[in-house]
Amino acid sequence: MPRKLAACRGYSANFAKITLICSTLLAGTAMAFTQAKADDINWRQFEGASIVWAYDIHPYADAVAAQLPEFEKLTGIKVTPELYPDDAYWNKLTIQLSTKSPSWDVVGTGIQPAWDLAPGQLLEPLDRYLNDPKLTAAGYDYKDFFPALRDALTWKVKEGQIEPGSGQVWAIPHGFENIQLFYRKDILHKYGVKVPTTPPEMSAACEKLKAADPAITPLGVRGVRFWSSIHTAAISIARSYGVHDFVVKDGKLDTGLDSPESIAFHKDYVDMIKKCAAPSFANDNWYQVVDGINSGRTAMAIDSNMFGFWNDVAGKPASGKIAFAPPLHAPNSKNFESNIWIWSLAMNAASQKKGAAWLFIQWATSKRVELNGAVAGKLVNSPRASTWSDKAWLEYAAKPEFNNFVDTFKTVQDRAQLAFTARVGFAEAMNGWAVAMQKMVNGADVKATLADLASEIRSSM
Amino acid sequence: MDIRGSDGIVTLQPSASQLASPKDKAVRSAEERRLDWWSIAAIAPAIIVLLGFLFLFFYGVFQSLTDLRFGRPLVHFIGLNNYAALIKTGDFWNSIRATLVYAGSAVLAEAVFGLALAKLFATEVFLARVMRPVILLPLVLPPMSVALMWTTMMDPQSGIMNYLLSLAGINRFAWISDPNTAMFSLVLIDVWTYTPFFTLIIFAGLQGINEEVREAARVNGAKGWATFLHIELPLIAPYILIAAVFRLIESLNQFDIIFGTTQGGPGNSTSVLSVRAYITAFQNLAFARGAALMVVNWMIVLIGTFAMVKLWRFVRQRVS
Repeated sequence: MPRKLAACRGYSANFAKITLICSTLLAGTAMAFTQAKADDINWRQFEGASIVWAYDIHPYADAVAAQLPEFEKLTGIKVTPELYPDDAYWNKLTIQLSTKSPSWDVVGTGIQPAWDLAPGQLLEPLDRYLNDPKLTAAGYDYKDFFPALRDALTWKVKEGQIEPGSGQVWAIPHGFENIQLFYRKDILHKYGVKVPTTPPEMSAACEKLKAADPAITPLGVRGVRFWSSIHTAAISIARSYGVHDFVVKDGKLDTGLDSPESIAFHKDYVDMIKKCAAPSFANDNWYQVVDGINSGRTAMAIDSNMFGFWNDVAGKPASGKIAFAPPLHAPNSKNFESNIWIWSLAMNAASQKKGAAWLFIQWATSKRVELNGAVAGKLVNSPRASTWSDKAWLEYAAKPEFNNFVDTFKTVQDRAQLAFTARVGFAEAMNGWAVAMQKMVNGADVKATLADLASEIRSSM
Repeated sequence: MDIRGSDGIVTLQPSASQLASPKDKAVRSAEERRLDWWSIAAIAPAIIVLLGFLFLFFYGVFQSLTDLRFGRPLVHFIGLNNYAALIKTGDFWNSIRATLVYAGSAVLAEAVFGLALAKLFATEVFLARVMRPVILLPLVLPPMSVALMWTTMMDPQSGIMNYLLSLAGINRFAWISDPNTAMFSLVLIDVWTYTPFFTLIIFAGLQGINEEVREAARVNGAKGWATFLHIELPLIAPYILIAAVFRLIESLNQFDIIFGTTQGGPGNSTSVLSVRAYITAFQNLAFARGAALMVVNWMIVLIGTFAMVKLWRFVRQRVS
C-alpha cells in the first residue's frame, strides 16, 4: 500500500509537473497570440470596398501590382491600378486632383509635385492614419524609413508656402532614386573609352565614340520640355558647379539660374548635349533613355540608378553589361552631387474611401512588400533600412550581373540630397528651365536665355 | 420695300378680326397661352444647354481676370493684368505666330490636296476606286494615336521616315526634333490626318454639278483644264470654303497632335496658344494666365471664322 501510495504520489507529482508545463506553454502561446493580435489591426475592416490606385507606368508599380492579389485576399478590398505614361500621368494627376475628383484614391507622387499639390489641400495629410492604432499596425514601423526620406515628405504649409522639416506627413515613400552615370562596359571597353567624370571629359569621350561608330548615341539624357528632364542629370551636375535653383538675397527668395556659376554650367552642359545626346533629345524621356542603354544604341546615360539595375537583371539582353559611376561634376570641383527622387504613395483628399486607401498605402509600403519587390529586381532602392540590412536583398544585389551597383549606390548615397528648394511653384520654374535648356541646345545664347528665364521666374514669384 | 407683302397683310388682318367673336377671342388667347408653354417646354433643353455653355465660357473669361493658381488660398480680381503681362512677353507673340502659321499652312495645304484628291475620285480610274475607302482611315483615328504614331515614325535615328528618305538617297532629317523643321512636320501630320475631310466635302460638291453645265462648256470649246478652272472651281468654291471654316476653327484650336508630338517644343518653336494655355494652367498650375491665353485663342478663332464666313457668303452669292 505504501508503495502504491508512493507510486500514486509520484504519478501525481509528474502529472502536476506536466500540467504546469503545458499550462505555462499554453498561457505563453495565448499571450503571444494576444500580443500579436494587439500588434495587428483588423485588415478586413473595409472589406468590400473598391479603390483606384493611379501611378506612372514604372517597374516600381509593377512590383506592387504583382503582389496585389495578396492584399485583396488579406483585406477584401479591390484595387484597380490605373497606370499612365510619364508625361500623361503628371498632367492627369494635376487635373484629377485640382478638379477634386474622387475617382483616384491613392496616387503616386514625388516630393516636388507634392509641394505644388499640398497647399491647395488636394492631398490628405497622413499623420491621423499613421497615429491611429486601429488603422496602423504596430509592426508597420514608420521609423524604419530612412530619416532623410521621412523628413523630405514632412512639411508645414505656412501662408501658402512650404516649410520643410516638421509638420504633417504628406506621402509615404515606397522607392527612391539617386542620380548616377551608368554605362555599357562592353561598348566603352570596345572603343577604349574611360568613364568620364566631368562634362568636358564626357564631350571628348562622345566625340571619340561617334568617330568610332556613328550609329551609337554616346549619352542618353532626358530632354523633354518638362521638369522631369531637369531633376535628373541637369540639376545633379549643376549643383557641383555651385548652381542653386533659388537663393536668399537680402532676406528674399530669388532665382539663382542667371548666376555666373549657372552660366558656366550651362555652357558646358549644352556643349555636352550637342556632342553627346541623341538627335531626338527634345522628345526624349526616361523611356528612351532606358531603351537606349538596354538595346546598346546608347553607350552611357545619366539618370536614376535603377534604370541600369533593371537592365542588369538576369535574362535581360543587357544583363551584366551595365556598370555604375557617380554623376559628372564640375571640372574645378572635387565632389559630385546627386539629386534624389522619392516615389511615394499619397492619398487624394477628395477620396471617399480614405480608410481603404490608407490600408493599401500601408500594405504597399510595408517591410514585406518592399523586400519582395526588391528581390524581384523591381523595387530596387527600397526606402526602408530593414531591406538594406536583409540578407536576401544584399545577396541578390551583390550578384555578379549587377557589377558595382551596391558599392556605387553607397558612395553616391553619401552625397545624395534633394537638390531643389522646397517651394510652391516648383513646376512652373522648372518647366521654364527645361524649355530654356531646349532653346540653348538649339543654339540660343546661353547668357541671354538664362537672363530671360530668370526674369520669367521672378515675374511669377 | 416689299409693297406686295405689305398689301397682303393690310387687307387680311382686318378681315380676320372682323369675323372673330369676343368668345372666340378668349378661346384663342387661352390656346395661345397654352401653346406658349408648350413652345417654351420644347425649347427649354436647348436654352438650358446654351446657358450652360455661356456660363462656362464667361466663367473662363472671369477666371482670366483673377490671380487664380494652385496653392493660393485666396483669389483676387486683378482686371486685365494677366493680359497685360502676356503681351509684354516675346513668348506670347511667338505663340500667336505659331498658331497662325500652323492653322494657315495646314488649311491651305489640305484644301489644295483635298481638291486634287476629290478631282481624282470624281473620275473612274482604277486608283480612285482603290483609294476611295482607304483615304478615310486617318480621319477615324484618334488624334492622340496619330500623334504617337508619327512621333515614332519621325524619330531621327530609328524612325521609318528617315529610312524611306535614305532609300531615295536623302540625308537624315530631324523632323520634330529640330526647331527649324518641327512646324513643317506638324503641318504634315495635320495634312495627312485632315485632307480626307476636304476631299469628302469637295467630292460632294463635284458630284452636285449638273453634267449639262460641263457639256455646255465642252460644246463651247472649253478643254479639261479650262472647264475645271472656269466652271467647276467657281461652283465648288463654297464647298471648299465651308470645309475651310470648319478646319480653320479646329486648326486654330489644335492641341492633341501638337501636344502628343512636340509638347510645343523644341524650345517654343511649336508652342501654339492652346498648348501654351494647357501647360500654363495644368503644368505650371497658373490657371488664370492659362484662361487668359484661351480667351485670346478664342478671339483669334472668332475673328478668323467671321472672315471666312463673310468670304463664303460673298462667293456663294457670286456663284448663285
